[in-house]
Amino acid sequence: MREFVNYLADPIRSFPIFLVFFYLMIRYVKVVATKKFAVIGTLISLPPIAWALADKNFFKIVIRPDNLPINFLIITVVFFTWFSLYKGVRNDGRLAAGEVPIEALPENREKVWTWPNLVYTELFCMIAMTIFLVVWAIYFKAPLEEPANPTWAPNPAKAPWYFLGLQEMLVYFDPWYAGVILPGLIVAGLIAIPYIDTNPKGNGYFCYEDRKMAINLFLFGWLALWVYLIIVGTFLRGPNWTFYGPFEYWDYKKVVAEYNVNLSEFFWIIGLNQPLPSNMILREIVGIVISLGYFFILPLASLKTKYGAKLFKDMGTIRYFILIFLAVAMASLPIKMALRWLFSLKYIVALPELELNF
Amino acid sequence: MSRKNEPGMAYDMNKLNKIFAFLSVAFLVTVIWVFLDDYIRPWKAYQLEAMQIRRERLSQGIEQFDQNLDKEALDELNKKMEEARLIIAARQDDIEKEERELARLARDLKSQTLINGTLSAKVAEVSFHYGIATSKKKPTEQKLFEKLRDVKEKFAESADRMIALQNAEAEVRGRHKELNGELLEAERGLNELLMSRELMVLAKNKTNIDPIFALRNAPFVDFLDPTLTVDQIVLENISDDRYFVQVPKVDRCITCHTFIDQEGYDDLPNPHKSHPKLDLMVGVNSPHPMKSYGCTTCHGGEGHRVNDFTSIAHSPQNAEQKQEWIKKYNWHEPKYILEPMLPLQYSEASCVKCHQGVEYIPGATVLTEGRNLMEKYGCYGCHKIEGWEHKRKPGPSLERISSKITKDFFKSWVWDPKSFNRHAMMPAFFMQDNNSSEEYMEKNMAEVNAMADYIWEKSKDYKPFMAYRPGNAERGKQLIKDVGCMACHGVEGYETESRKISADSGPYLTGTGSKVDADWLVSWLKKPDHYDPSSIMPSFRLTDQEVQDMATYLMSLRNPTFERLKFEPMNPEARDDILLGYYTAFDPIEVAQAKLDKMSDREKNLDLGFRSVGKYGCYSCHNIDGFSDRAPIGPELTNVGSKPLTQFGFNFQSDVEKTRDGWIKAHLINPARWDRGTDARFQGITRMPNFSLTNREAELMTIALLGQVAYYVPPTGVRQLDAHEIIANEGMKLLNKYGCVNCHQVDGQHGKILANYEDDINEGPPRLVGQGHRQQADWFHYFLENVHPIRPWLKVRMPSYNFTNEERNTLAEGFQAMSKQQTFVDNLQVVKWEPGEREAAKALFDSYACASCHSAGYDKSIEPSAPNLALSKRRLRPTWIKKWLEDPQAIMPGTLMPSFWEGGESMDSTILGGDPVKQIDALTKYILESGNNNFEPGLKKN
Repeated sequence: MREFVNYLADPIRSFPIFLVFFYLMIRYVKVVATKKFAVIGTLISLPPIAWALADKNFFKIVIRPDNLPINFLIITVVFFTWFSLYKGVRNDGRLAAGEVPIEALPENREKVWTWPNLVYTELFCMIAMTIFLVVWAIYFKAPLEEPANPTWAPNPAKAPWYFLGLQEMLVYFDPWYAGVILPGLIVAGLIAIPYIDTNPKGNGYFCYEDRKMAINLFLFGWLALWVYLIIVGTFLRGPNWTFYGPFEYWDYKKVVAEYNVNLSEFFWIIGLNQPLPSNMILREIVGIVISLGYFFILPLASLKTKYGAKLFKDMGTIRYFILIFLAVAMASLPIKMALRWLFSLKYIVALPELELNF
Repeated sequence: MSRKNEPGMAYDMNKLNKIFAFLSVAFLVTVIWVFLDDYIRPWKAYQLEAMQIRRERLSQGIEQFDQNLDKEALDELNKKMEEARLIIAARQDDIEKEERELARLARDLKSQTLINGTLSAKVAEVSFHYGIATSKKKPTEQKLFEKLRDVKEKFAESADRMIALQNAEAEVRGRHKELNGELLEAERGLNELLMSRELMVLAKNKTNIDPIFALRNAPFVDFLDPTLTVDQIVLENISDDRYFVQVPKVDRCITCHTFIDQEGYDDLPNPHKSHPKLDLMVGVNSPHPMKSYGCTTCHGGEGHRVNDFTSIAHSPQNAEQKQEWIKKYNWHEPKYILEPMLPLQYSEASCVKCHQGVEYIPGATVLTEGRNLMEKYGCYGCHKIEGWEHKRKPGPSLERISSKITKDFFKSWVWDPKSFNRHAMMPAFFMQDNNSSEEYMEKNMAEVNAMADYIWEKSKDYKPFMAYRPGNAERGKQLIKDVGCMACHGVEGYETESRKISADSGPYLTGTGSKVDADWLVSWLKKPDHYDPSSIMPSFRLTDQEVQDMATYLMSLRNPTFERLKFEPMNPEARDDILLGYYTAFDPIEVAQAKLDKMSDREKNLDLGFRSVGKYGCYSCHNIDGFSDRAPIGPELTNVGSKPLTQFGFNFQSDVEKTRDGWIKAHLINPARWDRGTDARFQGITRMPNFSLTNREAELMTIALLGQVAYYVPPTGVRQLDAHEIIANEGMKLLNKYGCVNCHQVDGQHGKILANYEDDINEGPPRLVGQGHRQQADWFHYFLENVHPIRPWLKVRMPSYNFTNEERNTLAEGFQAMSKQQTFVDNLQVVKWEPGEREAAKALFDSYACASCHSAGYDKSIEPSAPNLALSKRRLRPTWIKKWLEDPQAIMPGTLMPSFWEGGESMDSTILGGDPVKQIDALTKYILESGNNNFEPGLKKN
């Protein structure tokens, strides 16, 4: 069984499984967003978690001081995702029945004093949080180690937990893209949300149906491309950044047979049985064409679809193209991951001469 | 949200206040917890414990003092005190008067000091202004000059008054003291008697746990002036490598190891125990006092940390202790620490850090044992180790091997040396863990066959110059023991003696008859350098008959089982297979095959032989023709003790401790183990041979290897040899190389063979004590080239070596430097006699019956049992003769030479007034005068 879980946990398998669950969640959101589902779901998941924690190797990873925040993260992310969906779906039901959302009920619209209702309770939270952090710091000593030794780096060398998703991206992309462009786009995209999403529905109340596309898109980026990658980076990446199943011993001698090939090599050598052209642009022409097509033709082509045309009409040119560009950039990550797993594709465009690999 | 409250309120205020109260209390508790967590440190507990221990010891000390106190003396002193008080009381008026006088003088002195100070400052000020005025030619010059005169005069007057007052005070004080004389004396007596008790009481008071102690060490305020503190030693001359920068070493070990540098705490458990070798380490009077050398300099570990037991990188000695520590201290393997503490048994490894380039490190007994073993097994042959380059090749030369042994013997021997001679130092290359499969054995046998072919091909002709004639084996056996062969060789037939001596400079002589050619053997015994000039085997100047007798005995030692062994003949398939493996490394298989097909059988054998000798590194220990330009086969070990742990290949050996010492020890015991589970190809398996070491041997060698570190020690921290020591060490290298120390004890060290002369140590080779002082350098230089018996009655012989002139010089110099002597003695000086002294000397010579032992040249009827005195003039240094006469036992315990002036009392008090100094002088002069002025009897004077 443990072997089987280890086998499933490999990103090649666990990422599609995760996506399937994600799809099921939004497809059957009305079922998911009920208290009954939450209770049953929690009860069902407890025994497997207990079973998993009974494993020595898994337990060791879970209780590492560095990993505690991630344990909190998983629990809170699951809860809040469910909680927001629950509230949204409840309001959807009320709206469908012609009622106002719960937040718009007269008793909820009444105003109260900032002091003490807000400020006092905020103070409580501050004190409680301070107590929590202090006790945590006493109980789990800061995971500081010996003075850094440049000739002896820890293995695995892991980023702080909140950057583990980024570090995982580095497996699939060059630093300039995974470390600069993508995080930059994430920040820019988050800033841009209020300007792109001008849908007035959902202001002041939870809902799901009314903002289905926006919520799904965000949840995909947040859960599948950020939280999932953090989990992988934390629990499933061991020495040498090699994949280890959750129940696998972190043997630093473990070797994984991974030999990656560039698209140009696929095209010229394996496909055409030709030597690589010496001109680097010619050599990489296929990858360049595909990449440019992906980033420029695909957004234009999306206008041909019915959904795209409707969206274009609703949003206007600039908003639409910014949104599509962000979506395309976001999708580049799972696409590259899939290509890597399926074809051991190293780079679509390999220009080490310019340090511009993609 | 919740139920309705007052208008504008979402919550009930009362409830909010309660929550706030609860949170506030919880916060307070947390804050206190933070301080306590910071306050409670493991080391404080140890310091409190130490305080209690000290207190107990002091109480015991005081109690003991009280018990041993001489009550009568105390009473006496007290009585004296009473009497003194009475006497003084009678003089009370006088005393008071003096005291008043003293008080007045004190006042005057003080006031005079003030005046004096003011004037002195004034003088300085005016001098300055006057100087400026003079140099700048100011009009005020003259005025200032007068003023300066004036203040100087006043200052001189004041100084005079001051002196007068001081004298007056001294006078009064003296009178006062005189008046109080009896009382002061009585007080002094009491003080003397009770002083140490008082000191103990004072020390004990410091261990009181009183409110002040509690306050000073209370939480929150203990930053002010605590008594429980982290104690540390900062070392300027030894540094720690903090990546890119060397910082002075800081050791805080003494925070918990409280009594480590004090005597008398041996019975306590750790950490309060005293250091077990205070006379050598840590102790104030030892050569390595704690304040200058710290702790982690030798023991390793992170000495600056005191957080908890593990962070220091304590290393357990064994699995048992590891378990104990895990239970007791929650110990775990330290991470990312380059230099964790050495397990206790390996501590001596650190000596090498600072004591570099010396043959022996006195005091480091375990380390020396390990290094001797490394030398015995010849680690340095295959592995370069800096500072070991001067040592000879561990194995004998194979350049003329074909005349010594048969090819069959060679093959069976190489295949498994221990099956012929279980004391063999040659390691086993074959039939190991990683090459015992049938296929590999087949290939190995082909290699051995080929190596034999190659070595025989390269072996030069050698014709023994003597023919073997069976003689008397019994006499031969006796001779082997008598002349001193056993200093270097163990010998079959003398098992007990061999074990006692445990000689390892030469091979253990067993089964010799099955091994060597008889004619070769006699030639070898007669003149070893005829066969191999590079050998250290010396000539014992044996007569032909002696040689034949010895050879007869040695040839009678046979190993029939081994003789019956027949080595497999060459298997051409296996040979071709291996050769193909070599050739395909650079050529495609077709080309390699074609190359192989073109070769004749002989060519193939020789090529495989050549490659195999290179593969196994035979040339590293043996001289083999064709390999003079090759570097030793093994990796360098100079810095193996600081090789990062990550660079040790543990492969799949999970039962080996993941430490440096764990790896090295496992490797020494069975080097082939790393290949388990690796599916290594024939060419790629570990080639380090198996030395069949015992666990203890491996451990000792591990210590020696762990000492080979690369850590930087500032020059001030390294033990620097002085000029004498450098020369002495060079000499020591030769003494060691040629096995001189196997026979001769040098200043109390070495001399293995003396184990055979326990009954009468004087029958063994002479012990060399202060030898550089004893002998004259030019005589010794001559002697080494022209060895002749000095003590003809000894059966054991000083052999003749083929030393070069340079080597003889180095040896002579070495001894000289060991005793810090000048090279030459003025031998031309004519003895000058005091009137009557010469007659007295003669009388003494007769009276002490010197000639009864030193009979050579005096009395032919007596067999001499002491050296010929006629040789002394050129052989011995006159100062040494005097020292020797004074007390021979002090120089050489157990010597037969009697002492005639024991305790400074002359045995014959009638001569020279019985004055020992005069008698010794006279005798020395007599010996010098009567001595021959040549190095050897029968030679012309030089």
